[in-house]
Amino acid sequence: MAGLIAGLAALGLWELLSRAGTLNPLYFPPPTVVGITLVARATGGDLAPHAAATLARLSLAFGAAALVGVPLGLAMGMIRPLRLVLDPYIAALYPLPKIALLPLLMILLGVGEQAFVLAGSLTALFQIILNTYGGVTQIDPVLLEVGHNYGARGLALFRRILLPAALPSILTGLRLGLGLALITTIAVEFTAAKSGLGHLVFRAWQTLAAAEMFAALAVVGVIGLAITRGLLCLQRRLLAWQQTYEWD
Amino acid sequence: MKVVVEGLALTFRTAAGDVHALQDVSLSVGPGEFVCVLGPSGCGKSSLLRVLAGLIEPSRGSVRITREKDAERPLTAMVFQDHALLPWRNVFDNVVFGPENRGVPKSERLRLGEEVLAKVGLTGFEKAYPHQLSGGMKQRVGIARALANDPAVLLMDEPLAALDAQSRLLMQEELMRIWATFGKTVIYVTHSIEEAILLGERVVLLTARPGRVKATFGVDLPRPRTLGARAESEFIRLETEIWSLLRDEVLASDRGQTGITR
Amino acid sequence: MRRALGWATPILSLVGLLAVWEWAVGARILRESFFPPPSGIWQQATMLYASGGLAGHVAATVARLVAAFLLAALPGVAVGLLTGLSATAREAFDPFVAFIYPIPSLLYLPLAALVLGPGELPAALVCAVTPFFVIALNTALGVRSIDRPTVEAAVHYGATGRRLFQKVLLPGALPYVLVGFRVGLGLTLIVLIAVEMVSAKQGLGALLWQSWEILRVRNMYVGLALIATLGVLVTSGFDAIARRLVPWHQGPARSTRRP
Repeated sequence: MAGLIAGLAALGLWELLSRAGTLNPLYFPPPTVVGITLVARATGGDLAPHAAATLARLSLAFGAAALVGVPLGLAMGMIRPLRLVLDPYIAALYPLPKIALLPLLMILLGVGEQAFVLAGSLTALFQIILNTYGGVTQIDPVLLEVGHNYGARGLALFRRILLPAALPSILTGLRLGLGLALITTIAVEFTAAKSGLGHLVFRAWQTLAAAEMFAALAVVGVIGLAITRGLLCLQRRLLAWQQTYEWD
Repeated sequence: MKVVVEGLALTFRTAAGDVHALQDVSLSVGPGEFVCVLGPSGCGKSSLLRVLAGLIEPSRGSVRITREKDAERPLTAMVFQDHALLPWRNVFDNVVFGPENRGVPKSERLRLGEEVLAKVGLTGFEKAYPHQLSGGMKQRVGIARALANDPAVLLMDEPLAALDAQSRLLMQEELMRIWATFGKTVIYVTHSIEEAILLGERVVLLTARPGRVKATFGVDLPRPRTLGARAESEFIRLETEIWSLLRDEVLASDRGQTGITR
Repeated sequence: MRRALGWATPILSLVGLLAVWEWAVGARILRESFFPPPSGIWQQATMLYASGGLAGHVAATVARLVAAFLLAALPGVAVGLLTGLSATAREAFDPFVAFIYPIPSLLYLPLAALVLGPGELPAALVCAVTPFFVIALNTALGVRSIDRPTVEAAVHYGATGRRLFQKVLLPGALPYVLVGFRVGLGLTLIVLIAVEMVSAKQGLGALLWQSWEILRVRNMYVGLALIATLGVLVTSGFDAIARRLVPWHQGPARSTRRP
């Protein structure tokens, strides 16, 4: 609550300073102007299609990463040789900013959606794999003993012990992955795409339209917040049995 | 004999060298007997239990557990020190975990679960989750889970160690009551001499690592045993005798553990 | 001995992979124009080093990385300590976290460039924004994580004021601060490469983008290899330092914290 008030106060201050000219209104238009621009673009302009483009890319990127990452992470967690073989590559490639792969992807796949989506997907993929297999390997060994002692083997052990025990980590990985996919998708749009919210910011830069830029930034921020907070809520709901919440 | 252990030895390979947890342990337990295993820290008593549970392969020696009734019946069920309940399942689902894995049909599970929960005094808590329960209640769920599995032998790994002293007293009474009702064969690992004498019919004392059976004591106190039993002269005599032997082992174990063994 | 083996397997595996790659290009299974052989990439690297200013690119990126990280870390720790200790400070900081943090910091580049003009400063600031928040948030968490009994015991034994800060708060919060640093470092690199791709003439990101523009695939691979190496060196180097500084901690969590 106090945060909200502080936030509104900050916006109010910005409004005043901008109108007074202390903050150069050319670079920092008053929030009200940004708001009007936002509404205008949303209702009559091209904001909606660009936002849709971003969301579409994001969904594809995340979906692909999750579909590949979770099973792969689970497999790596359970099959030691697989983990030993793949782990060094994943550890080595994890710090590589996947946006750096964009030019290569554009050469391999052409300048188009495939390259854009794949770049975002790869960013999320590594995060999801790491968190998933971390979740499996870090299971309290006692729980596995319970499984063995009480007759859970093979598929039953997986379904009844492994998966639920790893679920908190998996969900965190998915949440972080989605955030990362958004960042990379925006970065891709900013640098190479001709559509999407990232591109809108770029275009506003080129045309020195500050209000447009802030409007696009606001939309990106809202989407990012909505996604991460939304997923966090979902995670808390699903894992109501966890008393200790991971702080992320 | 229900359980026969012969010449059991257990060695762990660790980064720091070989750890000989158990060395030539032999003991036998009769049907329906309540045997307590006592020993200093690190003497391998928990490892012994895990070998009995089939969770670890011994390096040498054998374990034979006889089960009457049908061949389907699980040999052992363990009650863990930190209850080890599955946090994502409610009390009922935790209790029927064993039968569920064995494919017992749902209606049968329902009946079984209710019955066991009533016996441990937790009727009404079926839908609660572990994190909502107190330590004593969680441990009762752990016991219920083991009982619901109807094992030939019940293994208990210091189940009351994590409770505060008052809950522990209550739970000891509970345990004795439950055991009297079910009549299971129990092998119970504990740190506390007092608890071992109070609960058991025989106390097996292990040496410091590598663990061997140092001595066995018969507990000749009448049942039901209450708080007052602790004041009986026989109780005190046993306690003194056991401690005089155990003390040396504890000191030896302390010394052994402060040095770094290679 | 086990430790040495631990190193050997990944290296052998990598060498094996490179060998297979080299062979696959020779056998025409992999297309050379898309996947130049490792030998060709190495050749290109040496050539770029000799005459193409490769060292300059590397130096530029490393310099920016260090600068941006310091720009994020020093204020980050300060703000983190403040918000960890004082509830009002935390509330004052909240709106910034709510509004500025969630936005991919690359998008601040236009604004920064407009306001601050050309040069290194806008880029450095943009790269520092997100790590700053991560470090501040983790530091605050670290301060708050020091449990009361520990502090009470310390005060009881005469550690107050500055000594309390130095001997209890700082070491206590240190593991979290280091996690923040580690994640922050990684994030800095990510944004830095993106920024260089968009608006720099020198730097590994710039190299990547330039090689894209002239369609020099080999240069691209050289750039990628260098960035990957830089990333690995930075993270493992950091881990080594962290292990020395906080031997009592079981090791920083692997998660990257970015809500």
